[in-house]
Amino acid sequence: MKPVVKVVHGPNGWGGPFTLTETETQTVVASITGGGIHPIAERIAELLGVPAVDGFKNKVEPENMIVAVVDCGGTARCGVYPKYGVKTIDVIPIGPSGPLAKFIHEDNFCSGVLVEEIQLVEGDEALQASVEADVEAAVLASEPSASAKFAAEGSKVAKDAAEEEEKQGGFVGMIAGMGKAVGGVVNTFYQAARDSLDIIIRNIIPFMMFISVIVGIINYTGIGNILANVIKPLAGSLPGLLILSIICSLPFLSPVLGPGAVIAQIIGVLLGNEIGKGTIPTQYALPALFAINAQVGCDFLPVALTLAEAEDATTNIGVPAILFSRLITGPITVVIAFLFSFGM
Amino acid sequence: MNFLVGLANGFTGIVSAGGENLVGLITGILPNVLILLTMINALIALIGEDRVNAAAQKLTRFRIARYTIIPVVALFFFTNPMCYTMGRFVEEDLKPATIDAIFTMAHPITGLFPHGNPGELFVWMGIATGYTTLGISTTPLAIRYLIVGIICCFVRGCVTEIVTNVMLGREKKAK
Repeated sequence: MKPVVKVVHGPNGWGGPFTLTETETQTVVASITGGGIHPIAERIAELLGVPAVDGFKNKVEPENMIVAVVDCGGTARCGVYPKYGVKTIDVIPIGPSGPLAKFIHEDNFCSGVLVEEIQLVEGDEALQASVEADVEAAVLASEPSASAKFAAEGSKVAKDAAEEEEKQGGFVGMIAGMGKAVGGVVNTFYQAARDSLDIIIRNIIPFMMFISVIVGIINYTGIGNILANVIKPLAGSLPGLLILSIICSLPFLSPVLGPGAVIAQIIGVLLGNEIGKGTIPTQYALPALFAINAQVGCDFLPVALTLAEAEDATTNIGVPAILFSRLITGPITVVIAFLFSFGM
Repeated sequence: MNFLVGLANGFTGIVSAGGENLVGLITGILPNVLILLTMINALIALIGEDRVNAAAQKLTRFRIARYTIIPVVALFFFTNPMCYTMGRFVEEDLKPATIDAIFTMAHPITGLFPHGNPGELFVWMGIATGYTTLGISTTPLAIRYLIVGIICCFVRGCVTEIVTNVMLGREKKAK
């Protein structure tokens, strides 16, 4: 039986894991990275016992590729091979992006892969993977039009790269190296920008809309005035804030108040509204921030302890310990914040 | 008829009051948050998780660092919810206290570094909006929020550590 290699994405990467193996038609590991064969391609080829080919210097038909290793910052190459059904490893940690992003899926794309995390798979898993690979290869081979089109594109790229290669060495090589380094930083920022936009669209703007609806209702209908009368004695004095923090940290309430900090956020908005109107003095903002959030994370305790790799026994003790501790520390944090709010 | 007109007017009033608020948030806060998020995300990617992990692992031995620096580092570099993975560097009995300290930092960090917990910005931003309405700068409040947050992390970490130890002691006696 042919060896099978498993690929997982690196710390900042995306996609995978998937398995790779040699089939009748898929026989080489292609490295389309520029500047020789990438260590990741080399390592996979070594484990599989197949040749690694520099895709820039030598033309490789996509249906002959077991995997394509690329170094694309999310513009084009990363999507080209997934589009043609070739499993793709991007050495740069990016998510699905670029004009071909819709072809990039977790089962055909894996980014930010580290050389040391590429491993051989043994036993049943390997057998299953090799059978699947044969089926996929057969499907791919039966689509000649795609491969012909691709071959034309591929040879053009290879030609360009070969010309570039000839010029390299010495001074030019240094400039190329510098260019790559600058490109790396630029890519990092570009990816960071994409990630940020993602967070804004998925989390922040929806919450802003939700908050705006609530604020609209409160400000327009006059419910605000009723609420202000309830909130003012609670949030406008130290004893009130202490009571608020104790309510929030009651062990049977705190896990219910926690999820997504939605309740804390709504109360935050209400208090901000009242501070803006002058109903609540500004120096109560700081202690209020702690009073409305004595329950922070209480809904999330078992999950957080799992993330911290705590044993079951620790979780069983830890959850009630934290819940009880909040009852003590909730009011303490309000007092500390109150002391620090002088001079605001 | 008058009633219906009144109803429609009221409804439109609510919608436009909400819309006004949304435009205020999007033009006032969003651009800065976007730029800040991009800069810090890039910084984190350039520094790399491995280096942060290695540094954090050394710091967890000291109680002060464990309940002050670790929560800040966890939220800043790993953000909510992956920040809790920092808990794996401490001894088993200290995990609840460490987690509790990190929880306590989950919102104080957002005053200056909203990327740490972008999904729950409005605990801070809601209250800070009051300052903005009055035309007062929110930066002094954000700085105090972070400082008091760090102190509270320490207090909460210590108290939870004691409570955990007491409960563990009782458990052992019961056996």
